[in-house]
Amino acid sequence: MIPDDAVERLMDSAQKIGQACEAAGVKEWEIFASQGYGNSLDIEAGKISMASGGGEGGFGIRIVEDGRYGFAHLVDPSSAGRAINQALSIARKSPSIEGFELPGNQSAPRVSGMKDKAILDMGPEDLLEQGDQVLTRVAELDKRAVAVGGGIGVGAGAGAIVTSSGIEDGGVYTSHGIGIHVSIDEDDQLTSSYEGESSRGLLKDLTACVDKAVHWSQITRQKIAGGETEDCPVLMTADGFSPLFSVVVPSAIKGERLARGESFWSGKMNEIVMADHLSLVDDGLMEGGMSSGSRDDEGVPSRTQKVVDSGRLAGEIWSTRDAAKLVSEGKVSEAETTGSASRGGHTSPPICGCSDLILSSSSNTHARDRLVEEMEEGYIIHSVMGAHTANPTSGDFSVTTSTILRVEGGEVIGALSQAGFSGNMSKALSGRVILGDSSKRKGSYSTGSMHVPDVLMLDGLRINPA
Amino acid sequence: MVVTTRQSDSLFSNGRLLDEDKITKALNNATDLGAEYAEIRLVSETTNTASLKDGKLERAIPGQEVGVTMRILADGAWGVHSTSDIASIADQVAPTLRLAKAVAARRSPSQLAVGLADVPIIEDEIHWKSIKDVRDTDLDTRIELMLAIDNEAKDDEKIVSTSTGWSDEHIHTELMTSEGMNRVWSFQRSLINGMVTARDGSDVVSYRMRHGGEGGLEVIESCDLGEMGRNARISALRLLGAERAPSGKMPLVADRDLTGVYIHEALGHPCEADLVAAGDSCLEGRLGQTIGSEICTVVDDPTMRGGYGCYPIDDEGVDTRPKNLIVNGVLTEYLNHRETAHRYDLDPNGGARAQDGLHHPLVRMSNTVIQGGSHKDLDELIEDIEFGVYACGSRGGQVDTGRGSFQFAAQEAWIIENGSLSRPVRDVSVSGMTLEILKNVDGLTRDAYLGAPGFCGKGQTVPVGDGGPLMRIREALVG
Repeated sequence: MIPDDAVERLMDSAQKIGQACEAAGVKEWEIFASQGYGNSLDIEAGKISMASGGGEGGFGIRIVEDGRYGFAHLVDPSSAGRAINQALSIARKSPSIEGFELPGNQSAPRVSGMKDKAILDMGPEDLLEQGDQVLTRVAELDKRAVAVGGGIGVGAGAGAIVTSSGIEDGGVYTSHGIGIHVSIDEDDQLTSSYEGESSRGLLKDLTACVDKAVHWSQITRQKIAGGETEDCPVLMTADGFSPLFSVVVPSAIKGERLARGESFWSGKMNEIVMADHLSLVDDGLMEGGMSSGSRDDEGVPSRTQKVVDSGRLAGEIWSTRDAAKLVSEGKVSEAETTGSASRGGHTSPPICGCSDLILSSSSNTHARDRLVEEMEEGYIIHSVMGAHTANPTSGDFSVTTSTILRVEGGEVIGALSQAGFSGNMSKALSGRVILGDSSKRKGSYSTGSMHVPDVLMLDGLRINPA
Repeated sequence: MVVTTRQSDSLFSNGRLLDEDKITKALNNATDLGAEYAEIRLVSETTNTASLKDGKLERAIPGQEVGVTMRILADGAWGVHSTSDIASIADQVAPTLRLAKAVAARRSPSQLAVGLADVPIIEDEIHWKSIKDVRDTDLDTRIELMLAIDNEAKDDEKIVSTSTGWSDEHIHTELMTSEGMNRVWSFQRSLINGMVTARDGSDVVSYRMRHGGEGGLEVIESCDLGEMGRNARISALRLLGAERAPSGKMPLVADRDLTGVYIHEALGHPCEADLVAAGDSCLEGRLGQTIGSEICTVVDDPTMRGGYGCYPIDDEGVDTRPKNLIVNGVLTEYLNHRETAHRYDLDPNGGARAQDGLHHPLVRMSNTVIQGGSHKDLDELIEDIEFGVYACGSRGGQVDTGRGSFQFAAQEAWIIENGSLSRPVRDVSVSGMTLEILKNVDGLTRDAYLGAPGFCGKGQTVPVGDGGPLMRIREALVG
């Protein structure tokens, strides 16, 4: 899927662009290069509707001159001269940040599990066979169920970073993912569920995802009438919780936002901000982590950063530039990179972002059935619509769900057609919270990868049945 | 080499980028090997983004990206190859054809083969010229215009931070098909946005603003940016201390931004015929049926120049035209690309859009607008509402097209009491079922136009415009 010498080729081109920077008189430069390849198939209306393949890549050039930085990106290395001039021109219009320099070279720990040879060896036909398995599984589980949408994809990419400060590193990563949207449309009632899974290694069992999609499409068919609006306990499955969490929390732990008063946790360092048994760790070194690696996206060695420790805000995440900038502005007395620079690819400069973010509890965690018993009365929510409309500044959210089950007497008694679901994530996590006992990665977002279990929140949430 | 030149300055000029002879040979090769149809579409984008943080330049990114996608239809199934290595595309005919045939081989007898509706085969070039070409705009100008927002937005001690952003792009597309289509088109988009964050003790809120459309610098210059920043500041300060919104079913009045998001989410998406064909639309089989109030007429119009969702030709080379989705409450048209038009025996209506040169076209919206009604203004819309909510500004929305349920969120809102706006509230979201809520629209002001520009995600992200008049919904779920 990917040429054997992909990294060497990228490194070679990056070095040539670096030499062009030197020739242009640029002393501090960073070349970030990426090249990705992939195969995928689309599923529509119960069949494989399309197979596709391809690749893309390019180069990002960041230059720093007297604490000022400029950036430009390009596809074709032969146009590097133009891009360097653009970046230089921008740097000269940018504010100078005292103390801002590109990071120096430090040895970085090796992170395993970033690539799987089984994925590299996969061909389009293998993927189509996986598609067949998925569609067969849907039909086996429920004759009424249809995979109305989704797809399967495999990817392999090469990345490289070369800087004037001596960083020269690169590597290959792989990924395998499935998304499946199943619906059951019978007796004028349509229920559906979307499930997804992805991994750096070959997913061993694609049907687990299918099973879950069919299960939730089935279980939400037992409709009951919605009651009154109420403030009540809510058990969010990891799948439902992860998208909301990813919009609100990763942005709140950025050092810059904390320093500027843009986070609901601003001014609360060393204070209790979550239930005292909860901890939050941003792990850039997770084996096989979708957002991990030996270095961050500006070449700084990755690390494991404790953010919330037993409920207490204990840390924050920084990129090199943000740290220098906020110190020079006097917003913080000291700050340094935490190896938390990330970028969406070669087209963007590094910005601060979390890697593999893990929510855990030091208290007893429970299986979902036990959490339902603990809740006694309330709701289970498996997915929400509009998670992206949550407010990351305040933590407030007001979303909608159609996969919601009513719990009474510690048992599920049926499903609502639809309900509004609102509250404040920060407040809910600082109230009474019990976590489930299986913490899997439940999604990769532009804000990083979330590792969360089922979460039972007992305070501050409102359900508004349709 | 497929590209006529690799010199970057010419690569991003208005000249042809595909080597027509070589592409023609590749397309002929595809049909010789058994393809029913083949196309190669190249998109080059010259982009500029920039942002200020607290009035200082945070980043500026000039970009030049190019991508090319080949689609091959063989035995009634698609194979696709996309790459930024445009010189390699002609070599991918045989493997892409094999992909298509492998997909086709898996189709059961009960499943329909893909076919394409006939369209006029056109060879031409259409270039929508901006009054002020984005490629001539310098960074100083961009900074100056962003500062116009920033200076007004930050003018209060409770405003703890401001950020402003800029994005402009020149999009150049070339499409060649095995049917002989050979079209080139280009146009530009410009956007400016901002966000203010206000804090009072532990209470922290933010408010976003956005302006933009199809065109060059003139789009930004046409906006009173100072007023936009001032209004954002006032709104953010008002949100501080605003109480949480009430929950329950009640009358709702939406401003034109929210009206646009509502019509985009609740109606536009279910009208996309690829979702209908997938069995994932609540509007399947409802063409010709009354699905909304008779005061509802909704148009999706990519020819509405200036709208953020404009484009001159769709990504299958079909001329664009306005599409009447609902006329007086009756569903009259789906959004189509050639594949869905063939399936439903309809005329293609120019609804195929791809995110860029690395993606294949899907059925997408453009500028979606609900037409104006008979109410004079906001006062007239709310005068007989005893208790309800007036919601303004969009924080986005989402739809489950199959179920027909949707959600959208407002930036700010007011309680309506006894026919007047009373107090501000925050965190208002509205949800409902498309087929119920459309029938509950019982008031529209006369003036309808596009609201703030937006982006629509459907696996791929495309710019869209949406809007309408102020809209009253008799009963909506507010939560």
